[in-house]
Amino acid sequence: MKGALEKLQQRKYVGVAELADMAARLLAEARLVQERGTVSEVPDERTVRYYLTEGLLSPAEEKQGTASVFGYLQLLQLLAVKNLQAQHLPIRKIRELVEGRSERELERLLGVDAKPANKHAALSYLESLLTQARVAPPTPPPPKFSPSAAQSRAVQSAAPQTTAQGRVTGTWERIELEPGLELHIHSAYRPPAEAKRLRRLAAAVVHVVTTYSHKLTGKRGR
Amino acid sequence: MASSTPKIEFITERAKLVADREQTLDVLIRITPPDAPQATNARPQLNLSLVLDRSGSMQGEKMVRAREAAQYCVEQLLPTDRISAVIFDDQIELLIPSQPAARKDELKSRLAEVFARGTTALHEAWVRGGMQVSEHFIERAINRVLLITDGLANVGETNPDRIVDGARGLAERGVSTSTIGIGADFNEDLLMPMAQAAGGNAWHVERPEDMQRIFAVELEGLIAQVAHTVSLGLVPSDGVKLSDLLNDFELTETGRYQLPNLQAGAPLEVVARLRVPTQAAGTRRHVLDLKLGYTPQELRAAEVLKQSFEIEYEREAVVNQLPCNDEVPRAVQFLMNARARREAIRQMDAGNYAQAQSVLVGASRATMTAAQCAPAASAPLYAEERAQLDELESSLRDRAQDKMSRKRLAYQDYSRRHGKERK
Repeated sequence: MKGALEKLQQRKYVGVAELADMAARLLAEARLVQERGTVSEVPDERTVRYYLTEGLLSPAEEKQGTASVFGYLQLLQLLAVKNLQAQHLPIRKIRELVEGRSERELERLLGVDAKPANKHAALSYLESLLTQARVAPPTPPPPKFSPSAAQSRAVQSAAPQTTAQGRVTGTWERIELEPGLELHIHSAYRPPAEAKRLRRLAAAVVHVVTTYSHKLTGKRGR
Repeated sequence: MASSTPKIEFITERAKLVADREQTLDVLIRITPPDAPQATNARPQLNLSLVLDRSGSMQGEKMVRAREAAQYCVEQLLPTDRISAVIFDDQIELLIPSQPAARKDELKSRLAEVFARGTTALHEAWVRGGMQVSEHFIERAINRVLLITDGLANVGETNPDRIVDGARGLAERGVSTSTIGIGADFNEDLLMPMAQAAGGNAWHVERPEDMQRIFAVELEGLIAQVAHTVSLGLVPSDGVKLSDLLNDFELTETGRYQLPNLQAGAPLEVVARLRVPTQAAGTRRHVLDLKLGYTPQELRAAEVLKQSFEIEYEREAVVNQLPCNDEVPRAVQFLMNARARREAIRQMDAGNYAQAQSVLVGASRATMTAAQCAPAASAPLYAEERAQLDELESSLRDRAQDKMSRKRLAYQDYSRRHGKERK
């Protein structure tokens, strides 16, 4: 199935029937047999619609007239569902394995991904982990706080400070204020000495917490 | 030496099923790994990195024992093995770059210089250890990182899910990770899932003096390892339902159950609970197809072992005359007790201590009842299990011991489900 799939990455399917046909063709080539009586052997339009309403397939990203246009992701999802059904997994488990997975992950699940040689794979993987940890610190630095404009916003990662060798300097320390609430302090941070600035800092924290609690009660009210 | 295959047995409490009734059938599936190659020099080559915590909390006896255990580890290696050591607090230091374990005295004296200080950059240190192993990756060897810590990751990457995913990703690329948590302050919800996802073992060292013994068990396991990347697929036949897999193994990405590595001399016991339909006396039924996937240590390619299980139906009076195999109800009870331990953790986490205690009391009572039906020969096994449950229950009464109790619960649950040696 691997070779066939490689050519289909850019392909679009207009309407449920086209998607179901392609999946059925690929499954037939891979000789996937559904042994259990209750499971349809090849996906037809009805099963695809059912998977769409169940959320096992992601909704189409575009439309042509009234028809939905599906792509590589939905094709992989459909193949994965059928494949797992052939292994007698209940829908609940299949959902766990398929829902929210990327194309890469689904390819791996189907066993059609490229596997590079071990040595480089392990090492380059770890190098990528290190780079990730540096470029986007996983404990992201909090946004600079300004009490006047204290609307909540997505936490953005600050650009890492790098030395000439490209190594990140400094570290973040996490301090739990109470369960569920943490303060992250960068090693380069120096706390203010004056009482006035300290009080302003305390006020900023109170403001964040109360804004957050308003947001929560607002949500519940809806 | 040619690779031999694991042996698979299907064991039921009685050899036949009662005819003319639908029933629940517990099947104990015992997977016995093949023996390791006879000659000692034929053991798999090891490529290890010791990643050793030296943060402030390690100060005192823990640091001393960890140093000794690391030196002991060096002592046990063959000159053909590779070893490296990374020590970490908030700084990470490559104490011993990966090298053959040849000049042991020099290696040991470098380990002797490790002192405790600072905070815990667990993730990056693990990555560094992994890199030492990966740079010198050896096909067919056991490529493994041993992470030894008493604390929480509090510098750098600290999100447990991401660290566990990272460890899983590395294992998929051939480098496994075992974790050794010391004392009461490490994060069991990080270290245990990490080892589980990474094809290694999780160890809990309660007292520093146990450290060397745990190292010994880990090394023995590595040397005895005959296969890795082990997965189990169970397909019930028509009309039969797989209602439960009592070990609660994680699923692999391809929907199989993920099993621990196979070690010579350590059979793995899996219990499947099935619902089987009614059938007439004197007939046979095909119940289950099993597929065991594994990669033998000396090979690169995965192998699949297929086996199916059939059973005969007989009249009730006849079945009742058949000998009873106590191994099945015992395995069921002990795995149920593992679940009870996990339930106790959930109750603890929710602040319901009385409830957590009563779950354990219930498990202990059920074990006692099961013991009454069992032959005298297996009484000590039940007694030991009850003693552990009772001990856990009483340690829950002392709130000062909470952290340690939670670790004991988690560790015992993990060991039961993975069929690991009891401490």
